[in-house]
Amino acid sequence: MTAGLAPPVLVDAGAPPRRRARRRQTLAGLAFLSPALVLFLVFIAGPFAFAIFLSVHSWDLLTPREYVGLENFRRLFSDPLLPKAMLNTFLFALASVVTHVFGALLLALAVNRPMNRFVSYFTRSAVFFPYLLSWAAVALLWKYVLDPTFGLVAYYLDKIGIDAPNWFVDPSWSLPAIIGIDFWYTIGFTFVIMLAGLQTVPSELVEAARTDGANRRQVFFHVTIPMMSPVLFFAVIITFIGAFQIFDPIQIITKGGPDDATMTIVMYLYQTGFQAFQIGYASAIAILVFIVIMAVTGLQFLLARKWVYER
Amino acid sequence: MSLRVDVDANDLLRPRDRRRRRRKPGAIAFDVLVLVVGLLMAAPLAWLFAASATEPGEAFTLPPKWLPTPFSTENYSRVLELMPFGRMALNSVIVAVISVSGSLLVAVLAAYAFSRLSFTGRNQILVVMLSALMVPAQLTIIPVFVLMRNLNLVDTLTSLWLPALINVFAIFFLRQYFNSIPRELDEAARIDGAGHLWILFRMLVPLSGPALSALAILGFQASWNNYFGPLIFISSPEKMTLPLGLVTLQSGQGGAPAAVVFAAIAMVVAPVLVLFLAFQRNFVASVATAGLRG
Repeated sequence: MTAGLAPPVLVDAGAPPRRRARRRQTLAGLAFLSPALVLFLVFIAGPFAFAIFLSVHSWDLLTPREYVGLENFRRLFSDPLLPKAMLNTFLFALASVVTHVFGALLLALAVNRPMNRFVSYFTRSAVFFPYLLSWAAVALLWKYVLDPTFGLVAYYLDKIGIDAPNWFVDPSWSLPAIIGIDFWYTIGFTFVIMLAGLQTVPSELVEAARTDGANRRQVFFHVTIPMMSPVLFFAVIITFIGAFQIFDPIQIITKGGPDDATMTIVMYLYQTGFQAFQIGYASAIAILVFIVIMAVTGLQFLLARKWVYER
Repeated sequence: MSLRVDVDANDLLRPRDRRRRRRKPGAIAFDVLVLVVGLLMAAPLAWLFAASATEPGEAFTLPPKWLPTPFSTENYSRVLELMPFGRMALNSVIVAVISVSGSLLVAVLAAYAFSRLSFTGRNQILVVMLSALMVPAQLTIIPVFVLMRNLNLVDTLTSLWLPALINVFAIFFLRQYFNSIPRELDEAARIDGAGHLWILFRMLVPLSGPALSALAILGFQASWNNYFGPLIFISSPEKMTLPLGLVTLQSGQGGAPAAVVFAAIAMVVAPVLVLFLAFQRNFVASVATAGLRG
């Protein structure tokens, strides 16, 4: 355990001590960094560059690659399925952000006050726990929960006089069903972030506002929300980025159907790349996903200047 | 995203108020409402465990089973006949353990370089690595698949853990953590003759327990639950991890009966539930700290 004590490299002997020390730090730095650097080049930077290279080629993995210029990108604009997939993805992401941020904020406020200890503990745990499971388990479980003949939801909706739709057969109910399942699965993450955010609101500030005669609502909208705005912003960004890449439950439950009602952009990318083996076109779709995520995230950072309070 | 929030994340699931006092009826009604939300969230899982432990023919009769009557473990034994559950669980463990320990080792070394050593290009390299956090996995997966194919690693467990060894988020998170540990400690150790490896592994790593355990929990969870990777790289059942194995059980040739799939899901969920109940604080704290500091 004495790498740092290794004798100075011989060729360095004539150099001034300062520079010698500097060179030793550089060597040590590269040594410590090299595993990460090599892995980064092989599994992130290299593939990133190769994806751009592939996007201007036509390739099915078997026959030789053929250079096609911007043909794949031109195809993006004429592909009839792509606008549908984009729209579904944006709808899903928007619904996901709104339901998660408001739902988690309400839940966090509801349990973050004096209340029955058991109820508080139970509900907090029940809300958080699903987040620890895998999409595979969650998607399969919910496929049965939403089953129109023996599922929980159909049975209890029927009890209160509502005729449950056949979620994954009826195109207008498939995407909402996925939105609901995703809410159940990942609300725990947003919930914990909001609870932590509530703790960051300084209680002196709340007390000062109360002393000055502010009522609960005023405190909430003029103290709590502004103080929490960085956390709210973080939740919006993270939920959007995650939601935009939604894939697992769709691949497991609907495969994009019925009638492309749940075809999202990453589902389409998967079908194009790994089922139709149109590697070049799939790479172009992946680049489109990357650009859209960058653009929307950048836009949100710009908008954030208007509403996020920085301490 | 450099959001700096100090959180007492240990207690996020614990109720805050210990005092007993008289409460208004409105407050009690509100408690009942919160309880209903909790029950609704828990209902699918309660039904999962009850139905899966019921006799196959009775599992899905209406009204839905909330208790396993008549009780039977037959669905569970059918799972073991229909899928190599033990093998898949072992695969999941192998991939998760190698991914987590390997990526943390790589990250600890890199974080030391970024935090404690000064060399030309250090900040530029960090910025380039961080910008990779914006690159969605779908963009790199096709080239990584081509790479694995050329290396003859498709349909091996290696294809699952090898790309997971680089975790840019962990590198950045640990660098921030190391930066918060006073450099005077390094100086003192160096005067006593300690080298870089000693300072890193005998001093900084032991001082970074909370950061490392948060990253380990999140990394384990990500690996354990990964579906996209195995879906693309793995085709033979004895190489599958549990998530892909579950889906294959349900959709594979003919597909297993629903009650058997239910038992298989329960077998995947139950250990997570036990771990959660035992180490609840750690789970929540890691999500909250890594989430907010990220």
